[in-house]
Formats: sequence, C-alpha cells, structure tokens
Amino acid sequence: MPLYDIERFGIINTGNPKHADIFLVTGAVNHQNMNVVKHIYDQMLEPKVVVACGICACTGGVFRDAYNVIGGVDKAIPVDVYAPGCAVRPETIIDAVLKAVEILDEKAAKLAQEKK
Amino acid sequence: MGLIAALVFIPLAVAVLLMLFRTDRARDAIVVVSAAAIGVVSVATAVAYLGKPTSFAFTPELSLAGNYVAVAVDLFLCGFVFVQAIRCRNRTMLVLSAVQLAVSIWCGSFALHPEDASAAPMYIDTLSVIMVLIVGLVGSAICIYALGYMKDFQHHEDEAAQKRGEQAQDRRHQFIALMFLFLSAMFIIVTADNLDWLVAGWEITTVCSYLMIGFTRTADAKRSATLQINLNMVGGLAFHVALVMLHIAGVPLAINSLADIAAGPQASLLIMPLLMLSIAGLTKAAQMPFHKWLLGAMVAPTPTSALLHSSTMVKAGVFLLVKLAPLYMVYPAASIMVVTVGGVTFVLCSFLAISQSNAKRVLAYSTIANLGLISACAGVGTAEAVWAAVFLIIFHTVSKSILFLCVGTVEHRIGSRNIEDMDGLFARLPHLTRFMMLGILGMFVAPFGMLISKWATLVSFAETGNVIFLILLAFGSAATFFFWAKWLGKLAGVPQRAENVEGAVHKSEWFAIGFIAVLLLGCCLGLPVISTQVVSPYLEYVFQSSPQFIGVDNMVIMVVIVAFIAIVLLTPWGRATKKRRVEVYLGGTCTDPDSRRFHGAMGRTMTSTKRNWYMEDVFPEGLLTNIGLVVTTAILLMAFAATFIFDADFLSASSFYMERTVLLVGPELPGLLLGVVVFAVCAPVLGCLLDGLDRKVSAHMQGRVGPKLLQPYYDVRKLLGKEDASVNAVDEAYVTCALIFCMLAGGMFVSGSNLLMCIFLVTLATLFIIISAYSARSPFADTGADRECLQVMSYEPMLLIMSVGFFTATQSFDVAQLWNLDMPIIVSLMPIFCGLLFILTIKLRKSPFDLSYSHHAHQELVKGITTEMSGRTLAKVEIMHWCESVLFLMWVGMFFVWNNPASIVLAVAVVAVTWFFEVFIDNNFARMKWQSCLKYAWVVALVVGVVNLFYVLITPFI
Repeated sequence: MPLYDIERFGIINTGNPKHADIFLVTGAVNHQNMNVVKHIYDQMLEPKVVVACGICACTGGVFRDAYNVIGGVDKAIPVDVYAPGCAVRPETIIDAVLKAVEILDEKAAKLAQEKK
Repeated sequence: MGLIAALVFIPLAVAVLLMLFRTDRARDAIVVVSAAAIGVVSVATAVAYLGKPTSFAFTPELSLAGNYVAVAVDLFLCGFVFVQAIRCRNRTMLVLSAVQLAVSIWCGSFALHPEDASAAPMYIDTLSVIMVLIVGLVGSAICIYALGYMKDFQHHEDEAAQKRGEQAQDRRHQFIALMFLFLSAMFIIVTADNLDWLVAGWEITTVCSYLMIGFTRTADAKRSATLQINLNMVGGLAFHVALVMLHIAGVPLAINSLADIAAGPQASLLIMPLLMLSIAGLTKAAQMPFHKWLLGAMVAPTPTSALLHSSTMVKAGVFLLVKLAPLYMVYPAASIMVVTVGGVTFVLCSFLAISQSNAKRVLAYSTIANLGLISACAGVGTAEAVWAAVFLIIFHTVSKSILFLCVGTVEHRIGSRNIEDMDGLFARLPHLTRFMMLGILGMFVAPFGMLISKWATLVSFAETGNVIFLILLAFGSAATFFFWAKWLGKLAGVPQRAENVEGAVHKSEWFAIGFIAVLLLGCCLGLPVISTQVVSPYLEYVFQSSPQFIGVDNMVIMVVIVAFIAIVLLTPWGRATKKRRVEVYLGGTCTDPDSRRFHGAMGRTMTSTKRNWYMEDVFPEGLLTNIGLVVTTAILLMAFAATFIFDADFLSASSFYMERTVLLVGPELPGLLLGVVVFAVCAPVLGCLLDGLDRKVSAHMQGRVGPKLLQPYYDVRKLLGKEDASVNAVDEAYVTCALIFCMLAGGMFVSGSNLLMCIFLVTLATLFIIISAYSARSPFADTGADRECLQVMSYEPMLLIMSVGFFTATQSFDVAQLWNLDMPIIVSLMPIFCGLLFILTIKLRKSPFDLSYSHHAHQELVKGITTEMSGRTLAKVEIMHWCESVLFLMWVGMFFVWNNPASIVLAVAVVAVTWFFEVFIDNNFARMKWQSCLKYAWVVALVVGVVNLFYVLITPFI
C-alpha cells in the first residue's frame, strides 16, 4: 500500500521532458552535468517550473566547497521552488510540487495573456 | 481493327527503328514521339471499344496467314532458346527447350491446317481495354523513363570500364528496342482470341524478359536469366500441351468458345487443358513454386523490373487466369488448385517481404504476393471475385510501377538499393520520397484501391465457404501492413539539415514518375466511376450479374480521403514552420540531433543507430520458401491426381458456391455526416470520463485514492495551453489527419455504415500516428513506432476475421443491419467474440500488451511512440485515444444488439463489464515481450477464426 501518492492531485511522473511541466532536480551541479540539466530544461515546453529537491540541489549542500561542484541547480537553470532537507522528506516534496503547481498556473495565465 | 493493328505494329516498327538509329538524340526523339503515339492510340482504343465487346472477323486466307506467322514466330523463338541453351551449356535449359521445340512443332502442325484458321481470331472487350490502357499508358511512360535511367546506367558502365582500362559497349539501343518489342507482344496477348496467336505473343514476352534480365552480362544476371527462362519454359510447355490437347479433341481454339463448351455436353474435354493453361498463367505470374525467377529478375535494370516484372508481363499471366475465370466456376479441380496456390503464395510472400532489406526484393515479394491474391480471385470465378481481381490489377500496376521507378532513380542518386541507406531521404530527395510514400500508401492502405480489392476478395471468399483462404488473407494482409509501414516510416524521417541531391534526376524520369502518380490519383479519385462505368458492365456481360457490395456514398467518402491525403503529402499545406525547433530526446546529452550524436560515457561522442526491424528469426526466408515450395508443389500434383482419380462428370460439375449477396443497408451521405458529428461531439466526452474512471479505479485497486474524475480533461486543456514547439514541421499535420480519420471511422460506425471501412479507417489513423512518430527520427520514437506496427500486425487478422464473421451472421457489412436481426450475433460468433476480447487489450493499450505506448507505466523507451510529441500534438493524440477507446468498446457492444430496443441496455452492461475487466487485467499483469504479443494474438486469431468460420461457412453446405 503506497503511503505517498501525488497522483491524487492529478500529477504523474514522466521521464520525457517534452511531456513534462514540472522539473524535479536532485543533487548539485558540476561541470559534467551542467549542460545536461540545461538541455533537458530547454526541451521542456513553456510554461514550466523547476523544483530543487534536497539541499544539494538548492545550494550545493555539504559539497558546496568541493573543487568540482559549481553549486545548486539555480547555477544552471532558473529555479522556482526550493525544497530543502537531507534527505528531502516526501511530505516536503509533495508540498513543493503543489507550490510549483500554483506558480505554474500563474505562468500559464501570463502566457495566455501574452498570446492574445 | 485499324486501332488494334496500330497498337501491334507501331511498337514493332519503333523497335526496328531503334536498332537502326543509335545516337542519343535520335533515340530520345523516337522514343518520346512513339510513346506519346502509343498512349494516344491506347486511349482511342479504350474510347472506341469500352463497353462494346467486339470480335474482329478475318478472311480465311488472312487468318491462315496469321496462323503461319504465329507458328513461325513460335518455332523461331523455341529455336533461339535452344541455341542459347547450347551456348550456355545448361542441361536443364537444353532439355526443356528441346522438349518445347518438339511440342511446338507438333502444335504448329495442327495450326497450319486451313480448317484451323479461326473466323474471328481477335477480340476486344473491357478487360482487354483495361490491359491496353495499362500497357499503353504505364508501359509507354516507363519507356520514357528508361531514356533518362539508361543514360545514368551507361555512365556507370563507362566509369567501371575505365577503371578496368577498357571501353564500355553501348548496347542501350538493344534494351529499348526490346522494350518496344515487348509492348507489341503484350498488345497481341490481350487482343488475341485465337490461342495459337496468344501463345506466340506469350513466348515473345518470355524471350524479351530473358534477354533483358541478362542484359548486364554479369554472372548474376546470366544465372537469373537462365532461371527465368527455365521456369517460364515450364509454363510455356504447359501452354503448348494444352493447345495440343485442344487441337486433338477438335475444340476450336478461341477463348470465348471455351465457356460455351464448358456449359455443354463436351465439358469433360476441357478438364486437363484448363489445368495446363492455369499452370501457364501461374508460372508467368511467378507464383510458388515458380516464384524464384521474379526474385532473380531484380538484378535487371529498373525499367525492366518496372515494365516486365510488375506492371505488364506478369499481368499477362493473371490476365489469362481472369479470362478463364468463368470456367473455374465449372471445374472444381482447377479452381481449387489456382485458389490455393494463389492464397498460399500471398501469405508466404507477404511474410517473406518482412525480412528483406533490399528495396527491390521487398517490391518483388510484394508483387508476387499481390499476383497470388489476383490469381486466387480469378480462381474463385464469381463475379465479385473478378471485380476484385480487375481492381487489384489496375491499382497494383499504378502503385507498383511508381515504386519501382522511384527506387531505380533513388538507387542512382544514393548508390544503394538498401532500405537502411534511405535514412533522411525526405530532405535529400524530397519530391521522390513523397512520390514513393504515395506509392506505398497506394499499395496497402484504405481508401486507396488496393484495399477496396481486399474487401471484395473477403466477400468472394465468404461466398465460396473458403475458410482457409479467408484466414490466409487475414494474416497476409496483416503482414503487408508491417513491411510497408516500416519502409514508409524510414522514408518519413525528417532530418533538420540535409543536402538536396535531387537536381541530377533526368527530366524523362520526372515525367514518367509524375505521369504515373497522376494516373494513381486519377484511378483512386475515379474509383466510383471506374466501378460503375467500366468494371460492372464487363461483369454484366460475362457473368450476367453485377456485384454491388459497396455503396456509392462510401466510395465518395473514400475519394475525399484520398484527395485529403494527397494534399497533405504533396503540398506544403499543414506544415507548421513557425514552431520553435526542439531537439530529439537523447537523455539530455544530444550534441547533434540529425546524426543522433550524443555525449556518451567517458566523455566520448557516440552515435545512436537504429535499423529497421526485419524479424529474420520469426519469418526466416529459407524455411518459409521451402514450406511454400513443398505445399504448392503438393497442390499441383494433387490437382493432377484428381483428374485421374475422379470421374469426368464430377470434375466438370460446378464448384462449391453459395450465393451470398451483400445487403446494403447503411445510411446515405447525410446520415454518415450526421454520425460523424455525433461521434465527434460525444466520443471525446465519453472517452474522457472513461479515462478518468480508469485512473480512479486503477488507483483504488492499488490502494490509493487517485485523481479527480475529470483529470484527463484538465490534462488536455493544459496541453493545449502549452508553447508551440516541435521536432519538425510535419508531425502535427500527420496527427491531425489521424484524428480526423478516427472521427470518420467512429462516425461511420455510429451512423450504421460499413464495418470494414470503419476498421480500415482506424488502421489508417494508427498508420498516421506511426508516421508522425517516425518523422522525428528519434531512437525512442522510432522504436515505439516499430512496436506499434507490430501491434497492428498482431491484431489485424482478428479484426478481419471479426468483420467476416459479422458478414456471415448478418449478410451485410453495414452495422445498421443489426437492427434487423432476430438474435444478437453473439449466438453464432462466440469464439470470435472471445478473440476480440483478447486483442482488445492490445488495442486499448493495456498491460500486458502496452508495448508502444502506455498511460500508467513507464516505458523502457521513455514514452514510446509519443516521445517526441508535445503540446497540441499530444493533446490530439490523447483525444484520439479517447475516441478509439469508445469505438472499440462499441465493437464489443455490437455483438449484443438486435432488433429489440432493450438490447442497447444489455450491450452497455456487457461493455461496462468488459471495461472493468480490461482495467483489472491492466493492473495485474506485467508487460509481455513483443514475441509473446505477436505469437499469442496470432494463435488466438487462427484458432477462433478457423473454428468459428468453419462453423458458419461450411455447415450450410452440409
């Protein structure tokens, strides 16, 4: 019996950026994965939101000063919601995603305005 | 008569001229002028004799002189082959040609008697007119094509010879002269009523083919040419033996009189000659066990392949069989032989085409398969079957010749005839690729003509209770979908940047391809006219009955759809150039989307490659060929044995046949349109609710709460609000087409119209989604599309069997007939219903068969077929999925409807239970391997098909 179900809010997990609206990123950004993260973000269609899950994704966490780590995800792409924790709690993730959905709704409204 | 003489003698004269004037300029001028002349004369002949069957009376002296000429030509050719056999030192060829020479001399000795000169040795009717048009229009276009093609060919020869330090010979004049000689021989074949004259033309075509296959004089060519002449000599020998038998029995050698004799007291005289003539027709049409020569003939230059081995010469074989069709109704042994050989060939060669990567071999196997279908229709001998055969002849000719011509030109441009090398052709050779796509669509998809013919074939076989052949037709059709769809997909891939190398294509090649494309579209658009004005009158004349199994309104809809597809394919309409370009999904590490390069492990740049799916272990070429050879040889031998075992009266009694006229109770065009509107409004709503309920119920089965009921609606609304971005400019256009076709299919069902058309349109819609996925050239989308093709191949046999079952239970293909029934069709179609439930899981994309796309589960292929689709395109796919689900559930419900209004309640209840059952299965079974999907779906279809159809079709005879 699953304990945490995000689908009750109508949100499902997909591995394809083209089908996605919300981008959950975990872990810090380094030179190797900087472009990958940017690339996946570019393939997503507007309106889109980014949720940084875990303290490493938010600020670089405990690895912040390492020689290869650039920092949190916001060094690569614009982040909308920060969900700290090590490890980030499931309740926090769900909360963050719901916050992201609110921001997504605002962005969608703005995009619809601009289209007119 | 003058027109016929012109048809025969103009090409002959041109052939002589071409041997004399060998410069390029002279040849170009002669060929263009004479091709135009032949075309004009063909059209004039058609106008003059369409609907007016005419016998041409000759004076006895002229007729006898004709006999002399025919015999002389025959003997000369036999001698020529004999000499060639000695030069080649080939034992089989030597023996066969010696025997043939002897039999020809014997046969000729009869023909030289004055009393053997027929009064009216030439005859033309609508069938001959159709063949004249095919030979005159398509054949001449191919001759013009040969001009440009052979220039490139000679260029390659010169280069190769220079490398060896030699001078290349220019024998092109021989090649093109042979083409015109061949045209002349074909005109003789289709207008001769005297069988001695026909066989002279027949032999000319055999020798022409031999010389043209061996034209390049390589070892391969010589081997293929020898194989061709050996196998065709078997046919020629059979033909001559038949003629000798007829001569000895004193039967006049006119084809027209054979039908009268069959009806009279001397019917038993024709038993063995008919068998022999059938074998002659079957060898010429490259049926198993004689099919290998056509495969070998693909080494010849492309104009040969296009002219002889797809459009015309092999059509001479089926032309003979169709001419003999009324006789097959009388002689069961010959009928069963031709039908079974044709059917087995169709199925096995369709399977064999799947495993081929050489484009010309795919075309060859497809040709053999279609000829098998035509032969089988001719073998049945009923009016419906001949209707189907004639339409198949027309549409196969135009579609296949375009494909051969395009493949030939493409080969010269890219230097390969392997389908694997045709990657990105959409941008490298844009117009040629589009013509090829048109040709491929014409070969297998509704509403192009080929599919109408398959429809008619279904009906004819239901009438004769030929269960085995119905099963073979269902499986063969499924296989044809697979190999055409994956080739089509390879062609549809749109690279973002590619060099256009189309400039070097010759004007003559463009003209020929464009002309035949116009013919193809013309035939498709003119389908209703051809049916009512050309083919039906012919059938009235020969069979005194004209079949009517497709309403004219349905044909009108088909015409509209063809026009629509042609517009989407050939014009820039629907191309969305304002979208933001996104790269294909390669895990976020894509460095170059066109060549699919990505940043791999260890910092290396790697390339993702994907080749087409050939399934060599599922459809092994060697094994299938051997099965075919063994089975068809056994059939031939059994047919012969039957003539000795059974007594003559039994063998000339009529074949097994039960009249089943098709009731046409569907609505007219306004009703159809109303149905489409109703479906387009209601089905998305219903489908959306069903989808939401699906997610809710699945969640509860998994111990969760699940989303809101209207969640799918919110999802689609969100998708519609997304940014406009895409991998290429065309994928949305294809998906829009798919959605429209799906709405049409649903509308047809709801309005009570034709069930088969509904099935075909749904398949067409799926095909367009498949093409849209292939157009992205993404590894994940390609694999998803491959799997979707596999899924269609898996469930297609069951759907065709379901439609046949529906026809036998209701005597109609129209859904509206259900209201006139006293009992629901479930009573007689229980096994088929179970089969439908089985494949419903595949169609609804539920686990364990959600191979190409799945809503709930992750794909190991990202999102499978929809990986590169997003935004509005994806929204349309979702809506189409909703509509499809509603339609498929309605198919389940239709088994429980009869003339009681309360039956609707019962049907809805059954549908609800089925739906819940499907959701239950989805949540409880893991995804199966594709091998299991194909195997189980086909085994289920085979078992329920045989059991149910046997029960329904054979029991009336008992």
